[in-house]
Amino acid sequence: MPKNTRLAFNHKPLIGDWLVIVASMVAVAVMFQQFWSFAPASQLKIRQGNQIIGTYDLNQARELRIKGPLGESIIVINNGQARFKQSPCPNQYCVHQGWLSHAGQVAICLPNQVSLQLMGAKSKYDSLNY
Amino acid sequence: MRLFFLFLLACLTASCNKPEPLYTTQSYVFGTLVDISIYGETDANSQDISNQIIREFQNLHNRLHAWRPSELSSINHAFARGDTPISIKPDLSAMIQDATRLSAQTNGAFNPAIGGLIEEWGFHHDEFAPKKVDENKIKSLVKANPQMSDIVLEDGKAFSKSSSVQLDLGGYAKGYALDIALKELNKVGVKNALINIGGNIIALGKHGDKPWRVGIQHPRKPSAIAALDLNSGWAIGTSGDYQRYFELAGKRYCHIIDPVTGYPVQGVQAVTVLIPPQNNTGVLSDVASKPIFIANPENRAQAAKNMHVENYLVIDSDSKISISPSMAKRIIWLDKDAEKHALSIQP
Amino acid sequence: MEIILIKTTAEDHHIAKLTALAIGLHLLEAVFPSPLPGVKPGIANIVTLYVLYEYGFATAAWVSLLRVFASSLLLGQFLSPTFVLSLSGALLSLVALFLAQHLPKKTFSAISLSIFAAFAHIAGQLIIVRLWLIPHTGVMYLIPIFALAALFFGVINGLITANLLTNLNSRLK
Repeated sequence: MPKNTRLAFNHKPLIGDWLVIVASMVAVAVMFQQFWSFAPASQLKIRQGNQIIGTYDLNQARELRIKGPLGESIIVINNGQARFKQSPCPNQYCVHQGWLSHAGQVAICLPNQVSLQLMGAKSKYDSLNY
Repeated sequence: MRLFFLFLLACLTASCNKPEPLYTTQSYVFGTLVDISIYGETDANSQDISNQIIREFQNLHNRLHAWRPSELSSINHAFARGDTPISIKPDLSAMIQDATRLSAQTNGAFNPAIGGLIEEWGFHHDEFAPKKVDENKIKSLVKANPQMSDIVLEDGKAFSKSSSVQLDLGGYAKGYALDIALKELNKVGVKNALINIGGNIIALGKHGDKPWRVGIQHPRKPSAIAALDLNSGWAIGTSGDYQRYFELAGKRYCHIIDPVTGYPVQGVQAVTVLIPPQNNTGVLSDVASKPIFIANPENRAQAAKNMHVENYLVIDSDSKISISPSMAKRIIWLDKDAEKHALSIQP
Repeated sequence: MEIILIKTTAEDHHIAKLTALAIGLHLLEAVFPSPLPGVKPGIANIVTLYVLYEYGFATAAWVSLLRVFASSLLLGQFLSPTFVLSLSGALLSLVALFLAQHLPKKTFSAISLSIFAAFAHIAGQLIIVRLWLIPHTGVMYLIPIFALAALFFGVINGLITANLLTNLNSRLK
């Protein structure tokens, strides 16, 4: 096996190394900003009418059926996210909302009076204007 | 082992939050969600006050219901018959006067007299379905030109000069209820509270040592687009095409109807206004977004100016975001794309 | 009984020694508990880098993969999640090195390559974690921590390798 040609080495980082180090630092800083800018949710609070149906751990996969005035809303929890899967309401806004995964996110089904609210260690706000 | 780390992280962040004297409750009134948060009171006290406020809301809702038997609907019947004046309670009379003044201030863009149009579009139902409207019916409803100024209020009686006037206080009642709630809270001596009626929010005091912070819903995503601090006495309101709408043949028809054309406004996803403390902050937070929503893009700044609104945010259908300079100073973007695309509105 | 003799060169022996060294370093790391699970200095990568410079990419890939397989067998983790994590990290890291070896040597030393390898290593591991081990959005939260660790240890390992190579170079001259 032929040996590679000997390379020029240096004790200290070369100019390119400094570039890589600085660029990496920027990348890491951006990652902190991007991935830590939201608080991941840990729990789901489900309400029906004026009652809290329950608070569920988001770290599981399960399906819940909540009875409302129009019928059963089906809610899915799947490893850190939750959504309305099925709803007896005519407009289906709640189903169209899709997956919720950040603390403070809310999906509401007004006709069936069911609401989902994701709770985290810290939400970014006290209440939502919509 | 990574699960363990995740768990550790969650515990660490959770343990930093001591239990705080924050009471929150949620109920369904006005066909929407009502959230009440009270800070710094005992739970029992907060619960009493919340229940009282919710009862008042419920009462107001029942009186102002536009499509079920109510004080308002009997007035509408009387207007439609066009016969003798009907007696009206003083507070409702005051509301109509106030709404008339605001309608004039918005040059008719805010027009609670177009109940007939809203009915024709099918938004007078808790569950509305996509509806193909009768174009001629819309034309005749617009031509009948129902105006708030047609209403005559005299000696505790109401009368309409035009039988086309059909009151719908849907864009007024929630804001009015916010003002009532604020008065109620002040009366019983609550210092810190946040009231949210279907997205319209008014703040009193603070959340501990920080101002109340509210999120602004992204019109097309299930998350907040931005957040801002709502100082004591301030209110925030949004008109959006995502709250009540139906889709027909791929086109979205929202509940905000331009009284001039008789058709739902197209081209705008959301208008948010921030209203400083005054004696009708809540009402303004409900009303002031409508003329901006209805105005053509080039007339928005003027529409805002007419309502003395300095802080507002417009999201167009192409997701273009325009923001007034003073609002830009207050807003904290949570959606990175939105932040990049937000343009300042030159007044 | 027939004895099969495989002809080996001195260089083969050297590579075997280096692989043994890499395995040793890998095991050493596995024994010491890490302050944060998943955050490891990855000192065995020093050997991979060293071999890359001294013997070329193909040999480095051999040493790296042999190390992953042998260590997991020795630790009884073969085909376990830890092994899959190690392997995916090593593979992605090799891809990064394969690309980065063409960088001009006058401007980019082993330090740059070490950083690239460290980032690729952690990326490979996180992909497996997210897709297989913890299919939870909360994993995103860990990315910056791992990236920071990768940068830190990438620089340290790179410095060690660069100095090793320099010393060796001057000794041979």
